[in-house]
Amino acid sequence: MREAFLLLVSGDAETWGIVGRSLRFSFFSTLFALVPGIPAGVALGTRAFRGRRSLVALLNALMALPTVVIGLLVYSLISRSGPLGFLDLMYSPGGVVLGQAFLAFPVVASLTQAGLSKLDPRFRETIVSLGAGPWRRLASTLFEARAVLVAAVVTAFGRVTGEVGVSMMLGGNIRFSTRTMTTAIALDAAKGEFERAVSLGLVLLAIALGVNLCLHALSPREAS
Amino acid sequence: MSAAPLFLARDLELRYGSEPRRSQCLGRLLRPRGSRETGADAAAPRREAAPRELGSGASCLRRGAAFAAERLEVMEGECLALLGPNGSGKTTLLKALGGLLKPAAGSLLFLGEEASSSRSLRRRGVYLHQAPYILSGSVSYNLYYGARARGLPRGAADDGVREALSLLGLSGFERRGHRELSGGEAQRVALARAFAAGADVLLLDEPTASADAASARLVLEALRARRAAGATIVFSTHDPKLAEALATRTLLLEDGRAALS
Repeated sequence: MREAFLLLVSGDAETWGIVGRSLRFSFFSTLFALVPGIPAGVALGTRAFRGRRSLVALLNALMALPTVVIGLLVYSLISRSGPLGFLDLMYSPGGVVLGQAFLAFPVVASLTQAGLSKLDPRFRETIVSLGAGPWRRLASTLFEARAVLVAAVVTAFGRVTGEVGVSMMLGGNIRFSTRTMTTAIALDAAKGEFERAVSLGLVLLAIALGVNLCLHALSPREAS
Repeated sequence: MSAAPLFLARDLELRYGSEPRRSQCLGRLLRPRGSRETGADAAAPRREAAPRELGSGASCLRRGAAFAAERLEVMEGECLALLGPNGSGKTTLLKALGGLLKPAAGSLLFLGEEASSSRSLRRRGVYLHQAPYILSGSVSYNLYYGARARGLPRGAADDGVREALSLLGLSGFERRGHRELSGGEAQRVALARAFAAGADVLLLDEPTASADAASARLVLEALRARRAAGATIVFSTHDPKLAEALATRTLLLEDGRAALS
């Protein structure tokens, strides 16, 4: 335990390099998940169309899917013989980011959808009545639900930072390339080297705490 | 009568059930016509139980609660009070006048255009809920919303907002958040928002329902000022004194019908 703290406090380059890489992967994968995730959530949360409910159910199911299953799915996409094999993403940072983006997408889309569908029906009537056209209505809806959108992003970030299945299957825990906090912990612990595993565990704990504090601050207080 | 009426309804029939169910309400945001209306009918009663706290009492959410009138006219500059018990169709009629509810049958015209798709109604009219919805943001954000949505020039918007604030005793409230308003204040903010949007057709659902005595007086004075400036006002109320003090005509609604005018 003491050694674990020392490793962090002394600023061990490899340990902090792993932390930085993890956060970088999470940042980009969350970003890539937002691009399709928010529009999908908006469409599912604000429009009525055939199959909407089934899609929402599917997203919720995807959210609960084990990460290794997502990993397997993306594996089949980017492996040499897969449809995206030519991109040579297997065991590369790009592969991990792609896989994590697949993981984050349902989280973003589903939470966005849930938040938007909970908006008060009077909200729409109010802005329509005040003369808002379709684009202003869309922008206002996103603004009205801004707390929910930020919460969706933070949750997705937390999910990809803490997952191990996708990073391990698609990244392969390659030192200085795809080794992230979670894969390093899994490997080090398996080897019986606990110092770095514990120190990275502490960092993950801090991130999890931070994410939850964020969400707590964002959760709507009882409206008066 | 010399002038053409502002609103003209013929063989009008309104049905609250023809509103989209709750989950589809926002769907109307981008697609005005719900595609699953008929299929949703069977499941409708269960779904309508959810938003019970909204609107003017649960009774107007009852299935089949409706309003019907063979002919209904509202003239420009008129101030029409809708009186009647809960569930008599006041809210439904006001929403339809505001273009937020399509008639189940018959026609409801605003200056010759179908009210629910009339551009001039979108520019000139505002419907106000009995418990108004204040957009999440400051009072100032709320007041500028309509002015921006309607594309008023900057200077006119500033003037309109300032005037509306002072008219409703809200000067100094600009930076208040939407959660920091009492019921009466929220109602005044919503009314000021309608004024600042440049609306001269005001459709108000019980404009003094959640106001204390002081707020109610401010609202009454403000509405009188707008009436004097030529605005058309249709409002529902349970307060005969308010109707007497403001209205140029009253319409008694009973069981979804205009009993006498």
